[in-house]
Formats: sequence, C-alpha cells, structure tokens
Amino acid sequence: MTMKKNVWMMAAAVVAALMLASCSTEVKRIGVDEVKDISGTWNDTDSRLVSEEMIRDSLSAGWIDRYSLSLKKSPVVIVGSIRNLSQEHINTNTFVNDLERAFVNSGRVDVVASKSERGDIREERADMDLNATEASRKEMGKETGADYMLIGSINTIVDAEDSEQIRFYQVDLTLVSLADNRKVWTGQKKLKKDIKNAKFR
Amino acid sequence: MSITPCHDSGCDWLSRQLFGLLALLAVFVLPGCATYSVGVAKVEQETSNRNLDGALKSLDKLKLTGADQMLYHLNKGTLLHYQGDYAASNQQFESAKSLTEKLSAISLKEQTGSVVVNDTMKAYEGTANEQLLIYAFEELNYLQSGNLDDAAVEARQFDIKQRLIAGNNRSAKYLSGAFVRYLNGMTYEEVGESDSARIDYRKAVDGYKAQSSITGFGVPAALQADLDRLENPQVKNRFAPAKKSSDVAMQSPDMINNGEVVFILHDGLGPTLAENIISIANPNPQHGTAIMSVAVPKFVQRPVPVARFELSEGSESATSELVEDVNAIARQSLNDRLPAITARAVARMVVKNAIARNAKNQNSNNGTGALLISIVTDVGAIVSERADTRSWSLLPGNFLMARLALPQGTHNLKVTYYDHSGNILATRDYNAVKVTAGRKAFVSDYYLGANK
Repeated sequence: MTMKKNVWMMAAAVVAALMLASCSTEVKRIGVDEVKDISGTWNDTDSRLVSEEMIRDSLSAGWIDRYSLSLKKSPVVIVGSIRNLSQEHINTNTFVNDLERAFVNSGRVDVVASKSERGDIREERADMDLNATEASRKEMGKETGADYMLIGSINTIVDAEDSEQIRFYQVDLTLVSLADNRKVWTGQKKLKKDIKNAKFR
Repeated sequence: MSITPCHDSGCDWLSRQLFGLLALLAVFVLPGCATYSVGVAKVEQETSNRNLDGALKSLDKLKLTGADQMLYHLNKGTLLHYQGDYAASNQQFESAKSLTEKLSAISLKEQTGSVVVNDTMKAYEGTANEQLLIYAFEELNYLQSGNLDDAAVEARQFDIKQRLIAGNNRSAKYLSGAFVRYLNGMTYEEVGESDSARIDYRKAVDGYKAQSSITGFGVPAALQADLDRLENPQVKNRFAPAKKSSDVAMQSPDMINNGEVVFILHDGLGPTLAENIISIANPNPQHGTAIMSVAVPKFVQRPVPVARFELSEGSESATSELVEDVNAIARQSLNDRLPAITARAVARMVVKNAIARNAKNQNSNNGTGALLISIVTDVGAIVSERADTRSWSLLPGNFLMARLALPQGTHNLKVTYYDHSGNILATRDYNAVKVTAGRKAFVSDYYLGANK
C-alpha cells in the first residue's frame, strides 16, 4: 500500500515538474556567429554576411589608396541614406554600423557623424558656448567636411506559391564623391533563400 | 451518408471520449462564446462614444487568446490606429500577420474539433479580405507617421499576399484588394517609384472594375486621374485634380507650391455574423440525438452612417468618394464560403448523431443512468452546435476618401459628414495639418454613429 502511494506521489511530482518546466521562459545563450533561421525573414545572419562582404570589398578596393596617394590624407566618409526597397522591414543600421566601425578601426578612412547624429553634437557645442570654460570650449564651424557619401539600397525579389517562397535579396552600397558625384566604390551582396512553410501544425 | 456503429473496445473508448468532450464543451466553452459577443459589443459601444481608452480596456478584459487571438490583434490594432498610436497599432497588425502565416498550416486537432464540435474550435485566421485590409491599416499607420519607406514595404508585402490569395481563390475577383492597391499607388508616388505607382494604380482600376458587380460602384475618379497622369507623361501635374463640392469646377494645383491632403474615413462598423440554426426532430431519438441541428453563420449588415463627407479649408473643398465597400465584399465572401461551411455542419450533425447513438446503445440497460446519458447527450449535441460568427468586429463598413490640393503650410481642415438623406451628421475640425509642396499629407478618422 505504501509503495503504491509512493509511486503515485512520484508520478505527481514528475507531472508537476513537467508542467512547471513548460511554463517557465527558457533562455539559452548562443554564439553571435551561430546560424539560426526561424521564420525565413531577414535576420542577424543576413546582416553579418552583408557586413563581412562589404567590409572586405570596400577596404581592399583601390579607392582608399588612390585618394591617399593623390591627396596625402585619409578620405572622409559620411553615411547617407540606405533605402529599404524590399518587402520586409529591415534595420539597415546593423551592417552600416559594422562598415563604419571597420573604416574607423582600419585607420585608413575617417568617418564623420551622419545627418541624424550631428544634431545632438551641434546642440552640445552650442551649449558649450554658454557653459564650458574657454580652454575646453569647442568652436562652431570647425567640422570636417566629408569627401564621400555612403548610399545604398536593399532590393528583393520574391517568388511565392502556396507554402513555398524563394526570396532573393540584393544589397548595394556605393561611395559617391561629394565634389563631383563620381562613384568610387560599389559593393554588392546577394542572398537567396528557399522558404517552405509547414503544411501541418 | 451513414455511419455504422462499431462495437470493438477502441471505438467504445473513442465514443465515450467524444461524448465526454461534448458534455464538457457544453458546460465550459459555450458560455465563453456568449461572453465574447457581449464583450465585443461593449468595445464597439465605447469606440462609438470615442472612449478609446475604455474600449482598449474592455478589449483586454475579453482575454481573447488561443483560437481567438487573431481577433485581439485585429481589434486592438484598429483601436490604436484610431487613437493615433501608430507604432503600437502596427505591432498588433504585425502580430496578426505572423499569426496568419502560422495558421495557414492545417491543424489536424482543430479540423477534428470543427467536425466533431463546431467551427469555433478552429483558430480564427481572418477572412481573405480581412487579411488584405491588415496591410491598408499598417500602410496608413506608416503614412500618417511620415514613415514613407516603411509604408512602401507594406505595399510590396501586400503584392505578394494578394497574389497568393487571388491564386487560391481564382473565381473571387473581388479579392483584388483594389483599395489597398490605390493606397499603394499613392505610397509609391510618395517614395518616388512612379513605375510601381502606375502598376498599382492600374491594378486598382482593374480591381474596382472587376468587383463593381458586387460593390455597385466603379473606379474612383481621383484614382482614374492618377492613372491617366502616370500613363500619359505629358500631363505634368503631379496631383490628381481635386473636385469642388459642385463636382464641376476642377482645381488646377500649382505644382511648386501645392501639396495634397488625403483624408480617409472609416465609416461605420463592418458586418457582423449571426447564427442560423436549422433543427429537426430525430424520428428515431433512441438511436441518436433527439434533435438534429445544423448551425451556419448568416450575414448581418450594420448601418453605415456617412454617405459622403466634404473636406474643406477656407474656400477650397473636395467631396469624398467611396473607395472600399467592406460590407459588400464580406457578404460575397460569406456566400462563397457557405457551401463548405454547410457541408461541414451536416457532417458534424451525422458524427454527433453517431456518437449519441453509440453512447445510448451502450447504456440502454442501465435504468436511471440511461436516462441521464440520454438527456446529457441530447443537450450536449444541441448546445455544442454553434456557428462560427467571429469577425474583425471593428472593421469599418466602408472607406471613404477625399483629396484636396492645398498650398504648402499649416492648415486647419473642416470635415462635414452627411447622411444618406443629405442631412449634416456632424462637423469636425482637424487643425494644424502640415502640407508640404509636392507631397501628400494623410489624415484619417472614424465615424460610427450620429453625434459620435
């Protein structure tokens, strides 16, 4: 009788443990390079693949050396608009920031604050005029002008039928000379996915 | 069609389980349906009173989860749109879209439930037209918050979705999404993609023509003017001419100094579905359910208060055009789905009858127990037979649109609503609307009833 009671208690404990386990949120840390596609939409892996390609291509292309050799200084880049012309809401900041970081850390390209970033900086400089000491105050009108603007777009082509989709992404980035509109570098990354949604759930 | 009673132990077990399920559903699930109807009516009333905070609270209290989760996202997204919280509204509509994708896969459990119990056992995924209109709301949210590129993303998503829906409903020409295509065309023009705009204007025109036999109206004049302008590049004016209230004099807006206000009204509430129950007495009640019932939804159109409105600023004015008849499309959509719904209801009736017959046969020698089983089986079968009357409750009955070209600057707009007899229902002011030269300013509102 006691043994039967114990079996019941153990069974109840196991059921309770299973129920509680299924109720709690599970968080598992994974590596940032780990590929995990869940819905098939644009994700961190796509962004990383674009970053890697663009960084490699932009730093190895000849535009930096040509500029440096001819003008004896590093080119200055400003980030313009990267237009999302796809059918997904894509955050382009992730790979653009990666590219900016690669430019700065390479020591070969200078990057100046973009249009959306410099408002706060100018506001702070104006505030310094009133509140900072003479020695530490930064003057207006001494910003570095950019030589090139980084612009680009993400385009997609989607072919869908029933529960299957082929998604093709093309990311294009271009550096345009602010002096004469010449394009000095164009980078491109293409990605293609075959997404099959489950027919049963 | 007949179902042969089986006598092996597996079938006995299944029969008892299904019988128990029916009885349990009668007790627990069906009162929930009543609560949903009552609750949604309260949400609608508060929306009508323009108490959107109250409507949101009432909606949250309904706890629409599980099979009804889609209804929560759709209605909450609508309320947040009316409230002007465009980002939060889009979060809800994005959730609704994700759910649609997820629910497009077949659930064997839900399919079984719909044949054994009723159609509300299936998760609500929205009708095809409701799914298309999600994109209109999201796009409008982005347009009203000035986020043009994201609005264009919605337009591109819609194109894929509409093609899939049209492919699965080849005879349903009314599922062209003409109104959303019209909106898409304007969005594409705003982001400078005039070729895409032209294509969507063309598809919108074709869609309006294809659905005109159902909706009773054709191509909106302003849309036709847009298409003519883009298909004839020699016409330089960027804006479609706004009609004066007389519908005769046409404005000729100055391209350099003028922008355009696009005012969209969500007019009234869309259709609701009621239950249509057909019951017949079983001539042989001891070998099945006493009453055999079939419940199917029936269309109930609600009044659409505004026949037209006039958008004005100073001496400039424009009259609205009907751009989407949600009611007409929903009616046709239900008519098209009704044969399948009815077939499922009849199959359900047969299954329930077979389950009851099996349960009664097994307990026929059990005296009081047999009587009890008989009563519970019959009541369970009757009460569990319910039609699926779920719908996107806060969807408007139709959409009206007026477009008015105005000089660049900040404008105080006045909108006068007229009923179907030409009487003024209400006048509302929309102040400080910023108009930029060469751009469109999108404004929207809703009107559910007199003095509201």
